[in-house]
Amino acid sequence: MFRKILIANRGEIALRVLSACKELGIATVAVYSEADRHSLHVRFADEAICIGPPRSSESYLNIPQVISAAEIANVDAIHPGYGFLSENANFAEVCEASHITFIGPSPNVIRMMGEKDRARAEMSAAGLPIIPGSPGVVADEQAAKQVAAEIGLPVMIKAAEGGGGRGMRVVRKQSEFSGAFQTARAEAEQAFGSPHVYLEKLIESPRHIEFQVLGDKYGNVLHLGERDCSIQRRHQKVLEESPSPVLDPEARWEIGRQVVKALERVRYSSAGTVEFLRDATGKLYFIEMNARIQVEHPVTEMVTGVDLVKSQIRLAAGETLADVVGRVEFRGHAIECRINAEDAETFVPSPGRITTFRVPGGPGIRVDTAAHADAVIPPYYDSLIAKLIAHGHDRAEAIARMRGALDGFVVEGIKTTIPLHKRIISSPDFAAGKFDTHFLERQLAVGAK
Amino acid sequence: MAKKTKQAASPLSGRGVDLAEVERLLDFMEAHHLEQFEYERDGFRVLLKKASALLPVPSPPDSRRPVLAEHPSAEAAMAAAVASAYSPSSTGVRSAAEKMEDLHVIKSPIVGTFYWAASPGAEPFVTVGAGVEPGQVLCIIEAMKLMNEIESDVAGEVAKIFPDNGSPVEYGQPLFGIRLNRKN
Repeated sequence: MFRKILIANRGEIALRVLSACKELGIATVAVYSEADRHSLHVRFADEAICIGPPRSSESYLNIPQVISAAEIANVDAIHPGYGFLSENANFAEVCEASHITFIGPSPNVIRMMGEKDRARAEMSAAGLPIIPGSPGVVADEQAAKQVAAEIGLPVMIKAAEGGGGRGMRVVRKQSEFSGAFQTARAEAEQAFGSPHVYLEKLIESPRHIEFQVLGDKYGNVLHLGERDCSIQRRHQKVLEESPSPVLDPEARWEIGRQVVKALERVRYSSAGTVEFLRDATGKLYFIEMNARIQVEHPVTEMVTGVDLVKSQIRLAAGETLADVVGRVEFRGHAIECRINAEDAETFVPSPGRITTFRVPGGPGIRVDTAAHADAVIPPYYDSLIAKLIAHGHDRAEAIARMRGALDGFVVEGIKTTIPLHKRIISSPDFAAGKFDTHFLERQLAVGAK
Repeated sequence: MAKKTKQAASPLSGRGVDLAEVERLLDFMEAHHLEQFEYERDGFRVLLKKASALLPVPSPPDSRRPVLAEHPSAEAAMAAAVASAYSPSSTGVRSAAEKMEDLHVIKSPIVGTFYWAASPGAEPFVTVGAGVEPGQVLCIIEAMKLMNEIESDVAGEVAKIFPDNGSPVEYGQPLFGIRLNRKN
């Protein structure tokens, strides 16, 4: 087992990794930017090393600084948390070259899952269903029409070099096809310098369903159920829950089996999440894989009783999946609310000094946070300040406990999205499990004056 | 159900802090070499802690934690005044509160191991009392097997060398205190 681990992250996830290390009797080294000098992960770690000024690029993303800190502190391993360097294959390779264990998948697997096209091709070859579409870029309008006929309308025409919602056109009727195709190409050329487009089936009213996995270094993989993360705003998750209100046991078993088979094929190790879109008919399509621990991991921890971060560390140290996890059992239902330092209506970030921070408790309530009274939330990093998780023996109890916990969570001095979560949790559609990824936008539009 | 009473305003909220008064308190702290000072008078309460008083709980003796030689100055104290409030256990650790003149402090731009000579056994680049010019190499900081030369950005005389030879340093850690040349 490792003697000493460096935590290459900050905020609540740094504290999370720190607590797993403490449980395992592993010494901890925190790295921090000048903006985080007084933060909790720095204060609670056994050692702390300042690695740069506030900007992430000069501190938490600065590979030479992080590796140098790992060397002078003489650590055995680095846990990268989520975000920052956690899916940087180059960083994982530098760790290996420096004889430091990177707690995560191998660099090759990170690279594979990071190139989204390649990930889709590999997972499709391994048997996972992907969103039907053109095999690559379409040569011309004729070819595009052919593909559309095969996969069926509605389709999305997307810029090959694109992103951010630009160079995309939806086609619902055959009569619109020509116009949409030409406009998409023109926009793609304008925005990205290349008119190349490809086609993809449009998934209407999608739900975002993701499977949590763990793998050891010996080719064994298992899954720990799914999370439903359909409550999103601008593609950012706001609330997550497990199990999904719409996934029946047969679908869970079947997709879970396919996921494990696909990942054993690529020898996936450590923790990861396989993301799917689910269409209105219940079909699941693989979209991408996140080769790291995720923000919403506590939801799965509450339902399965498996400590995912401790598991990552033990698996990285060479233990087998059978020893670390054994059999997975599911108990009850869990929901997580991501609480951000933002105005709950305008979503304008609200950094500053917290004056009051009263955290709820009681049966089935868990709060993961690095915030506290008198803490200063700096403006340089993401706005997540706390994760509030409620577990109950069924979904109704989890919702009831979450409602009470949100009422008892008092934060003053900065604005938070707690009011938004209160709205979501008391929505009848949410209670009925009736929502897709457009749910929150619709809620917010209704509420807007 | 009882009606909720209005919560008492926290000490630093609402009424507008008199910054001139806070500055007078900071001067008072400087003059008396205080690390921590709590002051209260009708409705106004303030707790001031020097940056050096905010170092984390002492690590076990065998840890390789780089020691920060904090430079007690009005600037540091002001930074402490607006920094997080803080748990009492931390005041156990302090750097030596040496009386320091105003030296220009050269801080480490990287994390690594500090060496005052180019190789083991070689003459140090500079010693206390040496004159330095801008661009002159003062030390080496080794990071990831690369030797980084750290140069002076000022002209003056080396008054203090902070880290021990071969010790680990972090970003922003003071390396040299340079007494600046006075203009004639």
